[in-house]
Amino acid sequence: MRTDDKTEGQPVNRPKIMVVDDDSDLRQALSLRLRANNFVTVNACDGYSAIAMAQKEKPHLIILDLGLPAGDGFAVLKNLRQYPSLAEIPVIVLTARDPETNEKRTLETGAVAFFQKPVDNEELLGVIRASLQAGWGWGGALPSNPS
Amino acid sequence: MGNAPAHVLLIEDNPGDADLVRLRLVEGKSEVHVNCVPRLSDALACLELETPSLVLLDLNLPDSHGADTFRQIMQKAPNVPVVILSGQDDEALAMKAVHLGVQDYLIKGEITSKHLERALRYAVERQGLLRSLETLRKQQLEFKNQFLSHVSHELRTPLTCIHQYVTLLLDGLAGPLLPDQLDYLKTVLKSVNQLHAMIRDLLEATRADSGKLRVEPRCIAIGELIQQAVAMMRPTAAEKRIGLEAVLDPSIPLVYADPDRALEVLINLIDNAIKFTPAEGSVTVKASMVETDPSAVYLSVSDSGRGIPAESLPQVFERLYQDPEAVDGNRAGLGLGLYIAKEIVALHGGRMWVASEAGSGSTFSFTLPFYSLAKLLLPVITHKGRLREGIVLVRVELTPLSKALRGSWKETCQKCLEILRKCIYLDKDLVLPPLETGNAEETFFVVASTDIGHVNIMVDRIRNQVGGLPKLKASGTLKVTVEAIPGPPAADSRTVEQQVWGVADCVTEIIQQGIASKQHLNKKEKHQNAHRR
Repeated sequence: MRTDDKTEGQPVNRPKIMVVDDDSDLRQALSLRLRANNFVTVNACDGYSAIAMAQKEKPHLIILDLGLPAGDGFAVLKNLRQYPSLAEIPVIVLTARDPETNEKRTLETGAVAFFQKPVDNEELLGVIRASLQAGWGWGGALPSNPS
Repeated sequence: MGNAPAHVLLIEDNPGDADLVRLRLVEGKSEVHVNCVPRLSDALACLELETPSLVLLDLNLPDSHGADTFRQIMQKAPNVPVVILSGQDDEALAMKAVHLGVQDYLIKGEITSKHLERALRYAVERQGLLRSLETLRKQQLEFKNQFLSHVSHELRTPLTCIHQYVTLLLDGLAGPLLPDQLDYLKTVLKSVNQLHAMIRDLLEATRADSGKLRVEPRCIAIGELIQQAVAMMRPTAAEKRIGLEAVLDPSIPLVYADPDRALEVLINLIDNAIKFTPAEGSVTVKASMVETDPSAVYLSVSDSGRGIPAESLPQVFERLYQDPEAVDGNRAGLGLGLYIAKEIVALHGGRMWVASEAGSGSTFSFTLPFYSLAKLLLPVITHKGRLREGIVLVRVELTPLSKALRGSWKETCQKCLEILRKCIYLDKDLVLPPLETGNAEETFFVVASTDIGHVNIMVDRIRNQVGGLPKLKASGTLKVTVEAIPGPPAADSRTVEQQVWGVADCVTEIIQQGIASKQHLNKKEKHQNAHRR
């Protein structure tokens, strides 16, 4: 567990979540929601910067869109597995694509959960907390629900 | 106009008629190879070996008569044009055949070679056209599906954005709101949810149209599912001050249905009922058995709404049907909900219907097949009308290592089940439908027709193949145990069906004991078994 996380004035010692989506409005909304729930957030807008950002920031969890420029979500999932330091980060896929053709494939490529947009916020937060608790990325206590 | 048929299969039992037709065919200018057989069975055997360019068919053969003759031919070779050779007395039948897909008919005795050649040429041509139309239709359907799937994806992206920002505002994450602002935003959210539901329905209906709607039946306690649906819909009912209650016959057996889909149907019917019931009204969900039909559970959703006029009743399950009287606040939706619900029920082998009278409410009912172990076991544990010797029950238990993640553990169990199905002999072993327990631990059962001495081969295979699955190794443990099912006594006067009921009883009892705490198994079935003996 690291205790020296500092991201642009955000508080330290909290799980860090990377949001990967090419829609900047949605990135912003999700980040706001996550920060309101006491998570630290970083963003990436395409497949290439997702990997670069993950290497730099070492997030504890990744929320990943499938339809991305410069390497789609599947490529990102596969790429993450190439780096020992990133391979264990839980990835939650959040996409507009249909579950019938994508859910199984994303879970087989290593994601821990699949959500189709629009997602119920409480459900998403529940799975985020469960994934962090499962002990891959986050060894500390979880931030409590503010509400 | 295209080519004349090069290879004709002539099916005619009268040698005189056969020779005449053959002669007329050969008289024509084009090269033609004629293969003549006298019986339907010969013809079917010929079609097995090669595909002719045309079939010429007499309807009355030694081994087949009338409509059945061309039905069998067309079933065997759906792409080959068929022309019927008809006597003057059965022209009506020949005409009927044309309506059912035969290309043409010729009256024996009126056949000239020119006439014959032209008829056959046109038959081949029309069949080709028909085939390309069919291909085109399939392409268009495929295009429509792709188009809708694309549109749905593109619609979801902005919808997600609206949803996210509205919920941010509603949850006060952008500062406090005035009561009016809160109200207006709630209206926005409600509309967003409606739009979301419509996009979902659109895709579901497309899937139903193209036969891509799938159900994965499991063994489920329908009472619990109804309670779940009622709990989910209670807030919507409360908003309109409508009483919503479930009336459950305590003896309802387990049903064999897809839990997610069955829930979808229940939610849909309850939602509709609430929509068309005025404030202070009531909605009742019932599950019961019907004396006259021991194979299904009857479910119904009744409301105290204004009912459906008799003339509209036949249309309510049709696509895009909307209540013409819908008043404000009952925004109609796409009119696909009931259509999808009915399709889902049909995929389970059940039916759905409605009874209503204007002014006195409506009752939507549907059936789901009741889970009968004996019915599933019969073809597997019997052979040539006798019970197979030696039957064992293999129990495969999967336990997650930690409080595992919902999605991935469920997926792992599903994968294990797929592999498990490959570890057995399909004709004499059966992986029982998984039990819906709502627990993370998953237990699969295999009924195997083998004795306790030989079952070890299967157990080893399961341990190696299921246990070797990396996902399972990473997230859970596997336990395989075996139990013998006692065979029938030496002098057993029961019928084989009764013996199978006995085995089913025994298996049920073992499963029941094992997971008594998790699931109350089918007492009703046991009761019925006892009755049959």
